[in-house]
Amino acid sequence: MAEAARQALEDIGVDPGRMELQWASAAEGPRFVELITKCVDSIKEKGPLGTASNEAGDEIQRRLEAAVKAASASKVRTSFGTLSKKFHKEGDYSPEAIREAISAKVTPAFRKERIAQEIKMLLEKGPMSVTKLAKSVGSKKAEFEKIVAPLIKKGVLKEEKKGLALA
Amino acid sequence: MTQEGYNPRILGFFCHWCCYAAADSAGVSRYQYPPNVRVIRVMCTGRIDVRFILEAFRCGADGVFTGG
Repeated sequence: MAEAARQALEDIGVDPGRMELQWASAAEGPRFVELITKCVDSIKEKGPLGTASNEAGDEIQRRLEAAVKAASASKVRTSFGTLSKKFHKEGDYSPEAIREAISAKVTPAFRKERIAQEIKMLLEKGPMSVTKLAKSVGSKKAEFEKIVAPLIKKGVLKEEKKGLALA
Repeated sequence: MTQEGYNPRILGFFCHWCCYAAADSAGVSRYQYPPNVRVIRVMCTGRIDVRFILEAFRCGADGVFTGG
């Protein structure tokens, strides 16, 4: 789960270091204090959301909104479920195996869904050219077309003179 | 940005049995720690989903701390 979240954050342009997963048992008050202080300091260094050098800036709010929708999408959740079944069967829970499996299965599904959601959100304001759209969602042309083609087929989007619009 | 007085908003997901109790004991023994973390208690860290974390950032958190 943490790995999936980290890769999702990276995909939408949030520094994955903003999310921390740590352990402190009930008896470890001092350790807890240390962990919290460290975490707060590291976030302080990074500054407010969207200002760190590897982050998406203004677009971040829209990205996050699309990301929340994408993370709820059935395709992404099924890929997650299938993966956990696979792990249960094989019994290899090493961090490398998890990272690899997530980046092979869950992250691509998430990215696809996130881009699709973002396209829909952008087009709500009116038609937009393909190049501009692909640039704002942070996608290369080939990948963008692969995502858009089924949406046109399904009748969610339509092609216009100016570019793409909601059907 | 490293300006003085910047207070990041951090959302904490704390496990009821571990981190939440640790936070409690830290409080009882009067350790000082930064007040930037807003806590949501969950019954188990396994309850946390990718959606929760994304939603936290969407709602304006600068960081998420998950404590098991």
